[in-house]
Amino acid sequence: MNIVVCIKQVFDPEAPASAYKIDADAKRVVLKGVPPVLSSFDENALEAALRIRDAHESKITVISAGRNLSRPVLMKSLAAGADELLLLEDSAFEDMDSYATADTLASAISKLGQYDLILTGRQAADSNAGVVGSGIAEILDIPCITVARKVELDDGKVRVERVISDGYEVVEAPLPCLITVGNELGELRYATMQELVASRKKPITTWSAQGLEVDPSQVRRAGLPKLFIPQKESRCEMIEGETLEEMGANLALKLREARIL
Amino acid sequence: MASGIELDKKLYTFSTRCIRCAGCTYSYRDVGFLPTCPIYKKFGFFTYSLGGMAQIGRALYEGRLDLTESVSEVFYHCTSCGACAEVCGIVDFPDMMELQHELRAKCVEVGQVPIAHMITIEGLKKDDNMMQKPKAERGKWAEGLEVKDITKESADVYYHAGCRYCFDEALWPIARSAVNLLKKAGVDVGIAGKDETCCGGRAFELGYQGEFIKYAENNLEMLRTAGIKTLVTSCADGYYAFKVLYDMSGKKGDLEVLHITEYLARLIKEGRLKLTKNVPLTVTYHDPCHLGRKVEPWIRHEGKLKAGEIYEPPREILNSILGLKLVEMQRNRENAWCCGAGGGVIDAYPDFARWAAQERIDEAKSTGAEAMVTACPWCRGNFSDALQESNGKLKIYDIVELVEQAL
Repeated sequence: MNIVVCIKQVFDPEAPASAYKIDADAKRVVLKGVPPVLSSFDENALEAALRIRDAHESKITVISAGRNLSRPVLMKSLAAGADELLLLEDSAFEDMDSYATADTLASAISKLGQYDLILTGRQAADSNAGVVGSGIAEILDIPCITVARKVELDDGKVRVERVISDGYEVVEAPLPCLITVGNELGELRYATMQELVASRKKPITTWSAQGLEVDPSQVRRAGLPKLFIPQKESRCEMIEGETLEEMGANLALKLREARIL
Repeated sequence: MASGIELDKKLYTFSTRCIRCAGCTYSYRDVGFLPTCPIYKKFGFFTYSLGGMAQIGRALYEGRLDLTESVSEVFYHCTSCGACAEVCGIVDFPDMMELQHELRAKCVEVGQVPIAHMITIEGLKKDDNMMQKPKAERGKWAEGLEVKDITKESADVYYHAGCRYCFDEALWPIARSAVNLLKKAGVDVGIAGKDETCCGGRAFELGYQGEFIKYAENNLEMLRTAGIKTLVTSCADGYYAFKVLYDMSGKKGDLEVLHITEYLARLIKEGRLKLTKNVPLTVTYHDPCHLGRKVEPWIRHEGKLKAGEIYEPPREILNSILGLKLVEMQRNRENAWCCGAGGGVIDAYPDFARWAAQERIDEAKSTGAEAMVTACPWCRGNFSDALQESNGKLKIYDIVELVEQAL
């Protein structure tokens, strides 16, 4: 059983708001003393892969694409239990849009050859677009199940509990198949110091655009026309009235005027 | 050509002014020429010094070097003790340690940090402490102690125990004694028990400045809500964080921050604590970096009075204990040799930390003292571990333990 997990390196979404600064001219976010992290939904996807491996013999390959990828950060996936790490690193992979990312990852997965199950987070923790997973499935022409909260293998098929607004539904699909995983599945298991040290001996492979079926000149970029912090304006108006009841009534009137009630 | 890093212009300027004399590794004032930089003494290369790190920072900025694992290892071997900034007589620069803080922040931004620090910070994010212990156990040290809980009622003084005192069971009696001493002196004191969190100071020193801001904001909000005007802590790292780092971040306001030694010295001077018992012991005092050099330089170069580095209060306390004789080590006060635990070295390079501790222990023994006294849980812990390793005979005390004995 070959499982591929796609993981994105993102700014830490849990960093305090005051640690974020905007460089409006360069149109980029400046974060001082904040490390990149694995996108949290992709961590859920890795946890899904590890749970499958707990029950079925499997090999887990983690793939990440971008530029200046941080080895120590991505090695967390190896420490948690992945067998190997494949980095798609090239200046051409900087600021790719969702479609280009799906194209690049699909190309790398095809080059890997054997795959039975591909897992991604339901969306990236920075852009929250949620396009890449289903994009890869479309390009590879395999079934896709989104927003999984439980993934199980059953006699050559995959059985998935899929989150819906009022609970979950159970969906089955043949392999190979792509599944996007939600936070409902559970957090990535904790890596111990020993596992982190041992992860240094696991293989890390790097591929550039050359060798993948990706033409750097044709890679679609996510462009930012403007980057800014929205101005928040708040106004406080005291509601007058002789009694509490009158104040309440006046408040209701105001809310009605504002078309809130 | 390396991809380079962005470096604050003034820090780049600083890196270009260093004349590579290695004067940042030796103290020469008062004590003659003696080594004060643990990494330089251990590794013997200029690379392992503030000057060396300045050159590395410059090469990174100019794109002549990549921020690789071996480069970051140099930065993280530094105990951040600040002795270099104290002794450099060449570069006139506001805060030389700022360069080291900046370079470590860069390491964090690109993810080039020691694995041990990644684990520590994961633990901090999950459990709000640096000891990788469950946050629910934070208040255990104070169980049965009759003291106010500032999350429920107001108090004049907030006692912040700090991560090490809260989770290292061997140190619980010291934190309990500190609270009891304050109560005995009639101080209206409260603690936050299980709701206390890390000050974030160590995270700052490891380069995780974003994480530090989170804890600074949360702690100050808690203190504001509780109406606290004075904070007293037993943790030297915590003192540095509350006193200097919170102030640097512009968020401290008018909160008065005192180390327990300052407060106890004040209470003894005012006659509110009377030390009446004889403690027949010859001791030497180890100055923790976070109570000395680390709290001094930033304010000094702002043109203000010194932040009040705590050199004299512990000595005043020791000298007021009957029967106790204080002898000084050759390197004392601003020239003190670091215990080796600072800046995350205790987590990432414990062997080096203990080597540095052993050097200090040998120096303490050479004074003829029976015991070494300190006022920092990290120094005390590192000395105790080093002594255990070498089967050493020197006794190690926290100053609060001796005050308790003298009452």
